[in-house]
Amino acid sequence: MKVPERSKKKAGKENGITVIQVLQILTVVGILGYMQYTVTTGKISKVFLAAPTSILEEGVNLAKSGELWPHLFLTLQEVLTGYFLAVVTGVAVGVLWTLFPKTEEYLNVFCSAVMAVPKTAILPLLILWFGIGFHSKVVLIFLSAVFQILYNTVTGAKQCDANYLKVARVFEASRAQTVFRVIISAALPSMFNGFRLAAATALTGVVFSEMQVARAGLGYLLSQAQIMLDTPRMFFIIILVTLISVGLVKLVRVMEYALCHRWRRV
Amino acid sequence: MPIIKINHVNKSYVSKDGENVHALSNINLEIRDKEFVCIVGPSGCGKSTLLEIVAGLQPATAGTVTLDDKPVTGPSRDIGVVFQDAALFPWRTVRRNILFGMEIAGIPKKEQEERLETYLELMNLKEFADKYPFQLSGGMRQRAGIARTLIMNPKVTLMDEPFSAVDHLTRCALQEELIRLHREEQKTVLFVTHDINEAVYLADRIILLTPRPGMIQEEYVVRTPHPRRRSDDYLVNMAARISADIGRGTEKDAKPEYFI
Repeated sequence: MKVPERSKKKAGKENGITVIQVLQILTVVGILGYMQYTVTTGKISKVFLAAPTSILEEGVNLAKSGELWPHLFLTLQEVLTGYFLAVVTGVAVGVLWTLFPKTEEYLNVFCSAVMAVPKTAILPLLILWFGIGFHSKVVLIFLSAVFQILYNTVTGAKQCDANYLKVARVFEASRAQTVFRVIISAALPSMFNGFRLAAATALTGVVFSEMQVARAGLGYLLSQAQIMLDTPRMFFIIILVTLISVGLVKLVRVMEYALCHRWRRV
Repeated sequence: MPIIKINHVNKSYVSKDGENVHALSNINLEIRDKEFVCIVGPSGCGKSTLLEIVAGLQPATAGTVTLDDKPVTGPSRDIGVVFQDAALFPWRTVRRNILFGMEIAGIPKKEQEERLETYLELMNLKEFADKYPFQLSGGMRQRAGIARTLIMNPKVTLMDEPFSAVDHLTRCALQEELIRLHREEQKTVLFVTHDINEAVYLADRIILLTPRPGMIQEEYVVRTPHPRRRSDDYLVNMAARISADIGRGTEKDAKPEYFI
């Protein structure tokens, strides 16, 4: 019974566009058209809204003039560095806690405390300590991502099926063998949950901090555009930042797929 | 010559609800070399607990278990365990699941491959070797689980309701395979089940436990040689006798605290 139902759905998708999809496309076209019409006719001031054509034009100009690239690369560099450090540290500490539960007992309270601090609130301190450039941003991203990754790793390890642990015991696996061959594999889905959550929020921190204090980066570009009341540019940067964020999450998904799709549906 | 001796084993533990559970009471049992022993009993009588104590996965509260006169203090490679739902690792292929024990033991790669081939053949798993557990039927998964245990060549194989999660026809097929394996490999097997027909079909000896706390209520020796017929009068009668005895045990020992 189930199989034909599924194949029907699939066939429907392959055959083309459903009514809902048509409506969705019409809605988007409608919104864009409304923006274009109201701004070009002056019904809404250019300060408040931007015509899609001028957003596109602004983007092309930014790219052509070369103004965009240093800012884009800096932001990407900050995000990737901070995120990568967070993944490595989060997983490493998670494995340490799983291998030696005493270390968790000791460190957990401190990690929970630091995790509870709103990261944007310590930005002023980070700027004092690490300057207004690259380093303070990397530290901010690191701090906002590392705990999500750590706790998802540890939770995944703790939720390891008791039967898997029994199998390891029956074959006389050592603690290290159990952790590396059984528990980490069992924890992978939960770990990737953490990676995804962290990836989705990583850009928030960096854009915010660049808007506060910085001399470069997409956030800086955005706050400059705001000061100049350059609304098309603001729209363009917001769209760009969103795309980067989505891209980062997609990247994690691709990695998860590569690692896990053979043995479970991702 | 007895290979496993269970001497005066008692087990009580505190359950998750904080209740004190007396699971097993004064179990004495000897299992001889190459013998196939089934433990049957009503649910919750401590059959699986007894098996885990013999496997070294749980300590006994009192009493000892010895294997070849050496006390069992923890899991050992001499004692193989087949779990209820096979407990294969979903992230490993059948091949790598079967290899797990040998990887842990650090057996040379070449020998691993040779033994793997033998057992893939023996358990009819050849064409499924590179599949992941989720791609297999319950019966295939349990075949892989059995192969993973037997490939380590343990002196004793403990099986905890290994066929309870598969359909009836698959279960019959697996029982026949198990009998074939037991006759070919001459292994000692301790098999826990709640299926009396299964026990009668498989075992040389059947141990019936009482409801909690589990005590040995009765022992039955099945003399019919293999291959057995399921419709054999002697086996059918014996199954009926055991079924009747299960009820009797409850009445005889009924105590107020065990009312359901």
